[in-house]
Amino acid sequence: MGKPTGFMEFGREPAHVRPPLERVKDWAETHPGYEEKTLREQGARCMDCGTPYCHTGALVNGLAMGCPIHNLIPEWNDLVYRGQWREALIRLQKTNNFPEFTGRVCPAPCEGSCTLGINQPAVTIKTIENEIIERGFLEGWVVPEPPLARTGMKVAVVGSGPAGLSAAAQLNKAGHEVTVYERDDRIGGLLVYGIPNMKLDKSVVERRVKLLEAEGIHFVTGTAVGRDVEAEQLIKDFDAVVLATGSTIPRDLNVEGRELTGVHYAMDFLVANTKALLGQSATHLSAAGKNVIVIGGGDTGTDCVGTAIRQGAKSVVQLEILPKPPDTRAGDNPWPQWPKVYKLDYGQEEAAALWGADPRRYLLNTKRLIGEAGAVTTIETVEIEWIHTPGGRPEMRECPGTEKSLPADLVLIAMGFVGPEPALPTAFGCKLDHRGNIVHDDDFMTTTPGVFSAGDCSRGQSLVVWAINEGRLAARAVDRYLMFGESVLPDY
Amino acid sequence: MSYGSISREAHEALAIAMNRLGAKSNTGEGGEDPARFETLPNGDSLKSAIKQVASGRFGVTSEYLVSAREIQIKMAQGAKPGEGGQLPGHKVYPWIAKVRHSTPGVGLISPPPHHDIYSIEDLAELIHDLKNANPDARISVKLVSEVGVGTIAAGVAKAHADVILISGHDGGTGASPLSSIKHAGLPWELGIAETNQVLLMNDLRSRVVVEVDGQMKTGRDVVIGALLGAEEFGFSTAPLVTLGCVMMRACHLNTCPVGIATQDPELRKRFNGDPQSVVNFMTYVAQEAREYMAQLGFRTFEEMVGHSERLEMRRAVDHWKAHNLDFSRILFQPQLPKTTLRTCQIGQEHKLEMSLDSTTLIPLCEPALARGERVEAELPIRNVNRVVGTTLGSAVTRRYGGAGLPEDTISLRFRGTAGQSFGAFIPKGVTLTLEGDANDYLGKGLSGGKIVLFPPRESTFVAEDNVITGNVAFYGATSGEAYIRGIAGERFCVRNSGVNAVVEGVGDHGCEYMTGGRVVVIGKTGRNFAAGMSGGVAYVLDESGEGGAAGGGFERVCNKEMVQLFPLSDPEEVAEIRRLLERHVEYTASPRAKALLDEWHTTVSRFIRVVPNDYRRVMEAQARMREKGLSQDEAEMAAFDENVLDARRVAGN
Repeated sequence: MGKPTGFMEFGREPAHVRPPLERVKDWAETHPGYEEKTLREQGARCMDCGTPYCHTGALVNGLAMGCPIHNLIPEWNDLVYRGQWREALIRLQKTNNFPEFTGRVCPAPCEGSCTLGINQPAVTIKTIENEIIERGFLEGWVVPEPPLARTGMKVAVVGSGPAGLSAAAQLNKAGHEVTVYERDDRIGGLLVYGIPNMKLDKSVVERRVKLLEAEGIHFVTGTAVGRDVEAEQLIKDFDAVVLATGSTIPRDLNVEGRELTGVHYAMDFLVANTKALLGQSATHLSAAGKNVIVIGGGDTGTDCVGTAIRQGAKSVVQLEILPKPPDTRAGDNPWPQWPKVYKLDYGQEEAAALWGADPRRYLLNTKRLIGEAGAVTTIETVEIEWIHTPGGRPEMRECPGTEKSLPADLVLIAMGFVGPEPALPTAFGCKLDHRGNIVHDDDFMTTTPGVFSAGDCSRGQSLVVWAINEGRLAARAVDRYLMFGESVLPDY
Repeated sequence: MSYGSISREAHEALAIAMNRLGAKSNTGEGGEDPARFETLPNGDSLKSAIKQVASGRFGVTSEYLVSAREIQIKMAQGAKPGEGGQLPGHKVYPWIAKVRHSTPGVGLISPPPHHDIYSIEDLAELIHDLKNANPDARISVKLVSEVGVGTIAAGVAKAHADVILISGHDGGTGASPLSSIKHAGLPWELGIAETNQVLLMNDLRSRVVVEVDGQMKTGRDVVIGALLGAEEFGFSTAPLVTLGCVMMRACHLNTCPVGIATQDPELRKRFNGDPQSVVNFMTYVAQEAREYMAQLGFRTFEEMVGHSERLEMRRAVDHWKAHNLDFSRILFQPQLPKTTLRTCQIGQEHKLEMSLDSTTLIPLCEPALARGERVEAELPIRNVNRVVGTTLGSAVTRRYGGAGLPEDTISLRFRGTAGQSFGAFIPKGVTLTLEGDANDYLGKGLSGGKIVLFPPRESTFVAEDNVITGNVAFYGATSGEAYIRGIAGERFCVRNSGVNAVVEGVGDHGCEYMTGGRVVVIGKTGRNFAAGMSGGVAYVLDESGEGGAAGGGFERVCNKEMVQLFPLSDPEEVAEIRRLLERHVEYTASPRAKALLDEWHTTVSRFIRVVPNDYRRVMEAQARMREKGLSQDEAEMAAFDENVLDARRVAGN
């Protein structure tokens, strides 16, 4: 932007991470820092496109294209290039309540739709985002900003994941008195227990929660709405309620041997691990010395791989039902769509460093689980192929005679989530759609007046950044609902 | 969009696609590498069918014009009407400079006006000149959508243009100034409607093809264009998008990341376009147009042209700005007799068969054309004989290519008063000697030929004190020689890019926008000499001692915005000037030149070298590089690289 030739002069700086074999020894998120010069060069690589896609935030074929919260990426890239970090932070905070979360865990659809990515490695947008906010914290620029005036309206937010927190932050900004209910013992939802510490350090979440508290948000932990507090009570006590409970029912594996011990949902495994790490009593599911099978090739699967390795697993194999993605974009997946290409994420990289190969096996389905004395010992897999019929959904077909057995002492099911737990929305009288997601209208209001929903509990499992986006938009809708159709909050 | 504004890869891909489709691609004003005129082994052709002639006249040679199926005179650009254009120095890579006959690294200015067009008659003359330069090509005139464009179009139709192009404000690369992109120009719909109505009402529509462009993107645009009166359509941005353009709006920065609007060799490697994509896109556009035609009930495209009554304003546009819109004048149908033709069906009468070239010169020079034999002849000439030698020159180029014939193969001597555009575009091997005087546009676009002009032997006036040729001599000339005994009118050698000329005095604005060649003036110069000059060298005899230039000397009349004045000292240069003056004496028997040669020692000290700053810096850098042992090509590239970052560079930035 400030430097038109930046992208020609500087290459993409690879993310600074510790070597895999070193980082698997602990649970820390620490990475080697960046030099100021490097960061400014990386900012200079941004081309100030006439028609940028990095901040479009559209859904193409069900996948995000560009930043869902419309981060002003070209602007803060330029400001970083010029060394104006504080201005960059102001621009970043304009659209993103929690850059320190997205800067760490977002799969960065912005980089997938970066114009430079057409024929060169994309701009390091995610790294720059994280560096801006971390610089802000370091310099003391990030301070609580409580609203100047209160409206006297009270809003309850149920669930403290990214959607709940961003809704709460925005509503508080608008001057409403916000109370966040969390059934777990810590605020953060999936940010605390879903994502392992080495990807998102829990102190980072805590730092933000303290800020929000200082801005005037009330947090109530260990309180499950519907169990400890009645839904009616909330409706009575508050002027509006936002449901942001997430998509928490895991997809199950319906095969023979599912009931054997040693077969767990990924989330149970990850939550137990983080709780143990944070010094809370929990049944610690350890992978130490075990042959671990992770079923599912998504981000949660990767987190299981990384966690199992740190626990000292004997071997880790990750089963993926889809074919191995191509190394470069396929013809039907052009820029600026989300690139469906092969990536070596941190967990796989660590496994490869330990055992010499990517732990993922593609096009494999689980046939059955075999156990001894009630405990799983072996997993039987079968190769599959996908039959594509024009106009129809691709169909899976097993290839006979390709059954194989793998040793399995711990099987982790990371096959995604099917929807929110229905008890809570039902208690509020909200209608659910055929997938079990909470139905809301264009203004995020559920079928119960005054009750809104945001994030995965109504859109289905998704990215942290979509959750932040929905939280912000729902907050605006609530604000309008409370303030006679007017809102001081932005529509992005 | 010219080669220069967009890369060779992109320009050639468009040309290939258009040639595959049987459509026409446009060179833009940047000239075209003759290597592209050959057909490729797979049958594709890189040749652009439309050759543009713009105010800069870059690379407008006889060969360029002869290779055209259509020659387009660009009067203005839709995106920036009245502004001219510029190619910044950092985009003038050696290969661009070669095609444009200029200096690598030195910016190029396309002046806002054509210096040979100050009235509609001048435009008629240029149309006639170009038609003579290639009788097989259609001559098209590009106008810009604006209020009153219909009147202009009627004039252009009467000036015998074959095609009138109405250009809307949305087109072009993103290189136009931002203020112009946002605020200048009008939509093509307004211009085409007015043009068609005025042409119809004056019964001129039947004589010209009307074309429209300016961000055409869909079959719907084509059909609306046709209903408003257009027969042909120009596309550019949309085809470029199919070739990979991502609308970066970095077109003026040379940093196009997809290798389209850049000349940077590294970025050009990133070009990933396939001509077939353009072919597909255009096929879709045609298909969509057919679908609309079917809905409207038209069987042929001609049936549809001008039927604006089939268009209707959309009433359901809910915007406060739309409330006061009234389209009735756009959709107006003039009351016309039934006999009025609504599309081009009558060709223009260019009367080429009556020209001196057709009636006399070409038959006379047949031995030279057919066998390369020497032809010499002496002929009378009158001022009704316009564009003498041009069609002959085009015949030479058609047979012998850009190299032409050996010097003086065709040597014609005329006696009398020549009409306008004497010797325009003549190629190498043709020498025209005129004893008498010449009108305006002498040697316009001179393309390798030689022109000698001196007063009749029996005349009694002092040649060097009298004007012997009109205005705008050697405008846009690319190479060749000229010796003029006498004073030339205004705008002498404007946009010259390679001619070596000797003249005994010039009017105002001499050597304006010049980019190459040498001009020796051994007499008085008018004011504003060397304005916008970015290349070549002018040698002017300082007449300050003789009270020239109103007593202030040459320095006062020279426009020093882009040039500096130096004494003549380099021995090589001195010898070169001496050689030119000797030839001048040889050809014209000029007593003044002879006197100067006789006192050569003092003469040398009286010459002032007028050298453009950028040009001098690049030339010096090239010489330095050559001294280091680099070849000419390497030296050019090294000098270019050095100059790119030089903050002192001024021309065309």
